[in-house]
Amino acid sequence: MIERMDLFRAVHARRTNEIAVLTMAATTQFPVVSDHELDFDFLAFGMGHAGDFAMGLALARPERKVIVFKGDGGQLMSLGSLVTLGCYAPGNLLVLMLENRVYDQTGGQPFSERVDFDTLTRGAGIEGGGATGKGKIERIETIEALEEALPRLLTEEGPHFVICPVENHEHVPPVNHSDHAGRIQKLRKGLGVTN
Amino acid sequence: MGHNHYIKEAPLSEQKGASTSKTLSAIKSLGFTHVLAVPDSECARLFKAIGDDPDIELILPTREGESIAIAAGLWTGGQKPLVMIQNTGFMEAGDALRGCGLGPKVPLRLMVGWRGYGGAMAGKKPTDSAYTYTEPLLNAWGIPFWHLMNDDDLPALEQMDRTAEETSMPAAVLTGYAFTE
Repeated sequence: MIERMDLFRAVHARRTNEIAVLTMAATTQFPVVSDHELDFDFLAFGMGHAGDFAMGLALARPERKVIVFKGDGGQLMSLGSLVTLGCYAPGNLLVLMLENRVYDQTGGQPFSERVDFDTLTRGAGIEGGGATGKGKIERIETIEALEEALPRLLTEEGPHFVICPVENHEHVPPVNHSDHAGRIQKLRKGLGVTN
Repeated sequence: MGHNHYIKEAPLSEQKGASTSKTLSAIKSLGFTHVLAVPDSECARLFKAIGDDPDIELILPTREGESIAIAAGLWTGGQKPLVMIQNTGFMEAGDALRGCGLGPKVPLRLMVGWRGYGGAMAGKKPTDSAYTYTEPLLNAWGIPFWHLMNDDDLPALEQMDRTAEETSMPAAVLTGYAFTE
């Protein structure tokens, strides 16, 4: 099990010019350690669709790695998107799915204990799939293993779908739903799409 | 890229709509880079034509909300996507449309197949509820739209595209009949 803030600290420490798409807990806890111009807060942009948005970004910007932090509850809200990733996800997409087995953001309501994300992702064709045919699914369960894997995950051609069991014992700042248009424009400026 | 070889023509209704080749030409002339499409029978020929065209990337997500979120990511990254979905899926995708289009002012270009239009125009009863609620729903969202029912309506694509660009908001065309050869 990985302490969630340790995961964010580990990614922040190794991340350089990658885009980071954040949703749910990541939107409030990742900014505790990161203030990068390519951090993008996806909260309230569409339930379950952070990975889809990130895939669009990755397709649009093949020169740059796109990291998306998403939750397991959010993944359940758009299970079909696993199939889309398995077919079209480009090599520069890194999905970090934080698995805590509950809808954490709304109070920790549990979902079915029978759900197996390893099986779901494999059944969706992500392993050996994506646009490159090099899709990889990994389960990383300790912070030490994650720290060791990150340099590879940030440079190796994917797409990668990494499942990280997490727990949280640190402060979770309040959510911020403000200025959706401003968030988009800030990212487009950071990418040089607009001035 | 993509896996479009499995697209086949679906049974088409008798009333014919705009020409597939002319519609594809209009789409290409507007500079679309990607088409995000969830297939429906009226658009089967157009999907196949886009899939066969080397200049436009066709992506077939599993649901319409995915299409909208992927399109928003593509646009944010500097590409120009077109979302082609049926009205039934448009209704399903409400949260994605709100969150990835209307709220953040993303100029999504939508081509929406209007299931039920042909039957309603022919006086068929009972009226398909997918027909009934399509225009009111677009109006409720505040999304401007134009009809694309035949070749004479093809300038609607340019109007939709220009409006989306000028307002930085979603805009749509409604297609009511199957595309012809």
